[in-house]
Amino acid sequence: MKILTSLLFILAFVHSAWATPELVKEKACGQCHRFTPDQPEGNIKGPDLFYAGNKLRKEWLMNYLQKPEPIRQAGYITDPGFLKAEPEIAVPHPSLNEEEAKKMADYLSSLKFADLPEGVVDSEPLSKGKRVRTKIKFERSYGCSSCHQTINLAGKIRGGVSGPSLVDAGNRLQADWVFHWLTQQKKFQKKTRMPVFQLEKDVVILLTKYIMSMKKENLK
Amino acid sequence: MKSYFCKTAHLIKIALGFLLIAFALVACGESPSKQNTAEKPPTAVVPAPTASAPEPQPVSRVTEATKQTYQWYCAQCHGIKGKGDGINARLLPVLPRDHTKASYLESRSDDQLFLAIKSGGLSVGRAPCMPAWGHTLDDDTIHSLVRYIRELCECEGA
Ligand code: HEC
Ligand code: HEC
Ligand code: HEC
Repeated sequence: MKILTSLLFILAFVHSAWATPELVKEKACGQCHRFTPDQPEGNIKGPDLFYAGNKLRKEWLMNYLQKPEPIRQAGYITDPGFLKAEPEIAVPHPSLNEEEAKKMADYLSSLKFADLPEGVVDSEPLSKGKRVRTKIKFERSYGCSSCHQTINLAGKIRGGVSGPSLVDAGNRLQADWVFHWLTQQKKFQKKTRMPVFQLEKDVVILLTKYIMSMKKENLK
Repeated sequence: MKSYFCKTAHLIKIALGFLLIAFALVACGESPSKQNTAEKPPTAVVPAPTASAPEPQPVSRVTEATKQTYQWYCAQCHGIKGKGDGINARLLPVLPRDHTKASYLESRSDDQLFLAIKSGGLSVGRAPCMPAWGHTLDDDTIHSLVRYIRELCECEGA
């Protein structure tokens, strides 16, 4: 039995080594991130990357990998210092040069769940009136801003820090993925600290568009 | 005639209430501590209430899982010790309730605390920065969180 499990372990290891490019191994990204969902969940120290191609925008990845800026101020949710906002794995995040970043961004963008519908959220921005009403939903009806930073009307950052910052969400995230996260977060992550919301589809689309309107160039 | 009817109805209510509580106690005593409450569907431990029966009140025990649930979800705002000083606290327009302070919590009933957790602050006339956990946690877990808060404040409800 023991031999069998260790054999399986070695096989799994070899398998993932085959699947991931040299660069990932060389930079030891796998120390903290998972690149396939079948890796054990036990000791992940950073966000899962096996759906990075659904979640993150390639241009953003290119920038982030060369010049990472903090997104989760308290650290990743499993960090031992999370509840004190004193993360053990703090910035600076490992960075890459331009050429490496390009390769890595290409690779990460190829990691996708194949079964996620695309084009769920159209690119029409919110009208002014809808934007105001959605802001009220985001802040008041559901208390999203208790855990997430966004940009307020004065162009200043406001909101809690236990969830990832949404200040630059429009540049960082893909609208369809935000929709999928809000309707089925457990598909992406079994254990999260965010409450499950069961919202109507049209409300989710409004919230998604509101989140996607957040861009750091709008900061004053 | 009318008042007589009311009285009997009242007596029946009390009797039913006792039955329900007794049933809940037995069922609770038997169910082992749940490891991963959040992923299991809620288990109904009380019989279907009849029209006149009062809301069943399961007496939920505080287990290790209750405390872990509190640390995982609630401590981000209410703090590791429940003092209302979690990492989001100073960034909220309304401070998270200090769960160790009896002066306010003894003025709230267990039902009110249950509803605040299940349906969020707005549902009990409190601030919306207290989110709703009813789609994340099952009723048993929420009842045990109410008990845990009663342990933290060393107080009982109104
Ligand atoms: C020491 C642990 C560690 C290593 C090694 C590491 N990361 Fe990270 N990574 C993190 C943490 C923690 C975060 C979250 C940072 C934040 O939110 O500010 C993160 C965030 C990211 C993100 C953003 C993902 C998202 O959903 O927000 C990407 C992309 C990423 N890392 C890629 C990489 C790549 C590529 C490598 C290898 C070159 C790597 N990481 C190495 C810990 C690590
Ligand atoms: C109690 C805190 C909390 C509340 C309230 C909350 N979130 Fe979250 N949210 C989180 C955390 C924590 C994560 C990161 C997932 C994880 O690792 O647990 C997250 C992740 C997200 C993400 C993905 C961001 C990323 O970069 O991974 C989006 C989008 C999001 N939340 C939107 C919302 C919306 C919209 C609401 C309100 C309807 C909301 N959140 C309410 C804590 C919260
Ligand atoms: C995003 C931050 C946040 C999280 C996470 C959170 N709370 Fe709260 N909670 C608050 C705030 C803020 C208040 C104060 C509301 C007020 O006073 O109007 C509050 C109030 C309460 C109250 C008192 C309600 C009343 O009558 O005033 C209870 C009970 C409570 N929370 C329990 C919990 C439990 C249990 C959890 C975890 C499942 C939890 N909270 C998670 C922010 C939060």
